[in-house]
Amino acid sequence: MSSESRASSSGDEASEPNPNPIPKPPEDQLAALALSETDSHANGVVHGSAGENNQNHQEIESDEEEVEANWLRLPEVDGPSSPSSSGYAGERGSSSASSGGSGIDEISEVRNEEVVDGFSDSQASWVPGKRHVDEDDASLSWRKRKKHFFILSNSGKPIYSRHGDEHKLAGFSATLQAIISFVENGGDHVKLVRAGKHQVVFLVKGPIYLVCISCTEEPYDSLRMQLELIYGQMLLILTKSVNRCFEKNPKFDMTPLLGGTDIVFSTLIHSFSWNPATFLHAYTCLPLAYATRQAAGAILQDVADSGVLFAILMCKHKVICLVGAQKASLHPDDMLLLSNFVMASESFRTSESFSPICLPRYNPMAFLYAYVNYLDADTYLMLLTTSSDAFYHLKDCRIRIEMVLLKSSVLSEIQRSMVDGGMRVEELPLDPLPRSASFSPHLGQHTLSTDSPDRFREPYIGVGGPAGLWHFIYRSIFWMDQYVSSEFSPPISSPRQQKRLYRAYQKLYASMHDRGIGPHKTQFRRDENYVLLCWVTQDFELYAAFDPLADKALAIKTCNRVCQWVKDVENEIFLLGASPFSW
Amino acid sequence: MASRRRMLLKVIILGDSGVGKTSLMNQYVNRKFSNQYKATIGADFLTKEVQFEDRLFTLQIWDTAGQERFQSLGVAFYRGADCCVLVYDVNVMKSFENLNNWREEFLIQASPSDPENFPFVVLGNKIDVDGGNSRVVSEKKAKAWCASKGNIPYFETSAKEGFNVDDAFQCIAKNALKNEPEEEMYLPDTIDVAGGGRQQRSTGCEC
Repeated sequence: MSSESRASSSGDEASEPNPNPIPKPPEDQLAALALSETDSHANGVVHGSAGENNQNHQEIESDEEEVEANWLRLPEVDGPSSPSSSGYAGERGSSSASSGGSGIDEISEVRNEEVVDGFSDSQASWVPGKRHVDEDDASLSWRKRKKHFFILSNSGKPIYSRHGDEHKLAGFSATLQAIISFVENGGDHVKLVRAGKHQVVFLVKGPIYLVCISCTEEPYDSLRMQLELIYGQMLLILTKSVNRCFEKNPKFDMTPLLGGTDIVFSTLIHSFSWNPATFLHAYTCLPLAYATRQAAGAILQDVADSGVLFAILMCKHKVICLVGAQKASLHPDDMLLLSNFVMASESFRTSESFSPICLPRYNPMAFLYAYVNYLDADTYLMLLTTSSDAFYHLKDCRIRIEMVLLKSSVLSEIQRSMVDGGMRVEELPLDPLPRSASFSPHLGQHTLSTDSPDRFREPYIGVGGPAGLWHFIYRSIFWMDQYVSSEFSPPISSPRQQKRLYRAYQKLYASMHDRGIGPHKTQFRRDENYVLLCWVTQDFELYAAFDPLADKALAIKTCNRVCQWVKDVENEIFLLGASPFSW
Repeated sequence: MASRRRMLLKVIILGDSGVGKTSLMNQYVNRKFSNQYKATIGADFLTKEVQFEDRLFTLQIWDTAGQERFQSLGVAFYRGADCCVLVYDVNVMKSFENLNNWREEFLIQASPSDPENFPFVVLGNKIDVDGGNSRVVSEKKAKAWCASKGNIPYFETSAKEGFNVDDAFQCIAKNALKNEPEEEMYLPDTIDVAGGGRQQRSTGCEC
């Protein structure tokens, strides 16, 4: 990581024409120049002092003053008082062409995918499963793909490739093994190779090698984490016992064991470009009235007491309720991989299933058994047990749960929330209000009017929320690694824009948690696409995106309001009383 | 879906420098031959699909460099090989004498589970040179050596003329099929919550 040179490609980029449609405000360039002069401290990232943001976060529920102490106050930077005070100075350098680089590449990336794949990489039109099986490393189309993932064995035998046929890529796979093994022979490990715009990221897990080749400009840490998740997905299907097969027989070919799971990996890889859980390491809940979630929780707890290790009710990738027996707790990554496994495999939808699965963060060595049943098109129940003959017991449990959920109309509440649940930036309350009065009309079902006079609507109607707020993600550390993300509203409406914002958040997250120069408390950055604001405290992390012309002071104020809003509705958007991930 | 899956075979090509390893690969995979000698650096990787008895094989061919300075790459390259092809030049005695070293080096570095029965193939290359007049290793001598090492299949080839090259590789697939391990049950442990939860050690069969 330390060997990464962010500015290395600036020469290439500067020579490209700058198709930036938004003319850069002159003061922005000024700020960038000024920053590059003074960027000796931490790449121009603005730090909040630890003392300022860090007072008594354990007691969110106390009086107003306590909450006030939680509010974000960004220190002003010395020198230019322009709205753009920061950015990745190292990356932006002093050339405006180079500072526009990331955004331009993102746009051209989507374009390329449209040309090459023949479809736009969106959630709506995305078709799961393996494509381009005719391709190999000699195909031009294969070489043009923006992001490759490979799994191979330490003898160089291909196990999985995102694009192209594994067997046809046997030679390529051998090359990757040769590179890894050659460096290992020298008593070293290869982590990253940069070649122009491409990054080649390596992850060695015993006899399993994972490689990502990408020109998406995602940070190294993000790509490595994606490889970790792919490895986790493999363990979820097979457990770490595959290592023993390799110990016994280095020639061991793993592909038959993974037969039919291509789609699980390709769906996971697709989620790297839309699901924040893949970089936040947190899960999100379907917004529900507190009482509704409690009702679901009660019946799941009842079942858990009868020998079920985990009972999880989910709707798509959102958690409705989660109960663990004997203080057992589920890591958010395990939940992500489990729900991806279930949602990607079509057969779970058609009938109740009982399948061995492994939760890599819980115990990578051994299998659990998962009873899975869809209650409606999107809502599914997962009951995890250690007993391989518990199918009929779990089936009975499911029948009981389903009955209770139907009777108490939890299922219809779930469907309702699917349609119009969630936080919308346009509905951000104007002022911090007494908690009970500020429910969003879309969250609970107990507020009737959508035209509450408290709503801030005037200047930005149709283009996001107040002060140019476009979107936010709030990750609660207090409520055990859950996050809430606002619904996408204009102007972040197309899948392409959503993916671009997602990548911007991902980059922001990585820079905030950079082990070399971080962790940081606050960051404010402005580029031609957004104003991004990030604020990390002991209790939460807030990521917010604004109109690129948003006023800084107003943006900060708005972030404080978002935090207040989240706290006001936390018993609807979070699973309260979730047990901590204690190990 | 086919009832029997495709098999991927890792094939390592070894032999002194200049005996024609790369030429053999090129003839086999690309049907091409060049008289110009280009030393291989480290290793080249080629892929070739073969059919044998209704089964489809992908040969992942590791064409290694013959020069001694590349020998340190051995461990990294030989791991998990399904077959090893030893090549010598019938016109160069030294390259034949070195076959023994190559074989032993391979068995040490790759440490296959059953070294006695590991599938090798020996190729005597360049039989076309000078109409066979410059030949110094007789077929009889080569076959005797192969017999002494556990009946290694032997082929006389000409990469230039494409003679016997396909047959040699067909034999590799046949050998691999013979050595295909029994399909074993994949049976990882199940978590035993009562017995200590996730810290539980493996107690089941070493699958």
